[in-house]
Amino acid sequence: MANARALDKRRKSIRNIRKITRTMELIATARYKKAMDRAAAVTAYTEQITKVVSRLVAAGAEVRHPLLEVRDQTKTARVLVLASNRGLCGGYNSGILRTIVPHLDSLKQTVPNRIVDVSGKRGINGLKYRGIATDKTYTQFEDQPPYDEIERIAMEYLRQYAVGEIDRLDVVYTKFISTSRQRPVVETLLPLGALQNDDDAAADGGADAGGEFEFLPSAESILEEIIPTSFKVKLFKCFLDAAVSEQVARMIAMKGATESAGDMIKQLSMTYNRARQSQITGEIMEIIGGVEALAK
Amino acid sequence: MAIRCVVVTPERTEIDRVVQELVLPMYDGELGVRRGRAAMIGRLGYGQMRLHTDTGIESYFIDGGFAQVEKDVVSVLTSRALPAKTLDSKAAQQALEQALASPATTPEQQQLRKAAIMRARGLLRTSVRKS
Repeated sequence: MANARALDKRRKSIRNIRKITRTMELIATARYKKAMDRAAAVTAYTEQITKVVSRLVAAGAEVRHPLLEVRDQTKTARVLVLASNRGLCGGYNSGILRTIVPHLDSLKQTVPNRIVDVSGKRGINGLKYRGIATDKTYTQFEDQPPYDEIERIAMEYLRQYAVGEIDRLDVVYTKFISTSRQRPVVETLLPLGALQNDDDAAADGGADAGGEFEFLPSAESILEEIIPTSFKVKLFKCFLDAAVSEQVARMIAMKGATESAGDMIKQLSMTYNRARQSQITGEIMEIIGGVEALAK
Repeated sequence: MAIRCVVVTPERTEIDRVVQELVLPMYDGELGVRRGRAAMIGRLGYGQMRLHTDTGIESYFIDGGFAQVEKDVVSVLTSRALPAKTLDSKAAQQALEQALASPATTPEQQQLRKAAIMRARGLLRTSVRKS
């Protein structure tokens, strides 16, 4: 039987750990709610952009832009990996790292040059450990990535794409589907592909079939501006999704840790009580033994 | 005779209120919008948006984007909408000087320089003329 004092010490330390994990769970919950509000705001913005595009298409504007066209040859691809700065968030970072490695392997067969950018200390260390060289690294993004900074990154990618330094941009991040479901995905942001979902366009076109819009200065000029904006917002959405998913993952991981600590404390309390009981019984037996010896 | 104005940025909905009329900084000049305006989608430039409310005129710096007018609702989609009173004209002047000094040896750089100059001029105009 283990020493009762050692068991008590262990139980105290687990109680402290439970306090920490419980606090982390509460913090993650609060941050998750804030991050979700921001994600909802960007959804409102993207919906409006999609509406404008569908109205342009309905008015007969031809949606053509260099950012939408797939290039004949992809010489250089850039991959942006979005991981987290901090750990203790379950399988969040390992999921991203498990996705990026096979993706880079598959790119190796078709694209001669591949450049990897990473956001998040865990991602930087994970890729370094796997021997994957990284170009640009970002560690400033936490649970509320600011649009200004992401816009700057997006502008740099747009410049590189325009001058032909890169022919493709992939983003590896954890897509937030619902509170119970987040999935690491690879999304190609450049070339942009289709600007709007067919379902959205059909729904929107149906509702606004009767409305006629005046375009100022022209439909072409609006398209010229809306396509880069759409790219910037998509990149921002990736960062926001990653931030929300990180907080959800931390919340769930810390909830699990708190529950496990509780179970462990219960188990240890039981063992401690038994140890204490047997210690007391032993002491009583010794006293009785001593009394009996004296009586003889 | 009011009209609803909604200003949305990727981070949040900055403004959602009813105004008497508003003036938008379009790509090629200012555009006044009142109740009953025909449906329109326009490209915004960098400049001052003025909201005529019951309490007076409120002014914001609009950083490009799009505006849509439909059924007496004006939706403004922009990267940022900053209240004019928070702007610093010295900083705007510096931004303009920096933009003018930036290199323009390639077509891409020229385009970036042009956009930076237009933005800095809009910022300076809004910071000087705050209402």
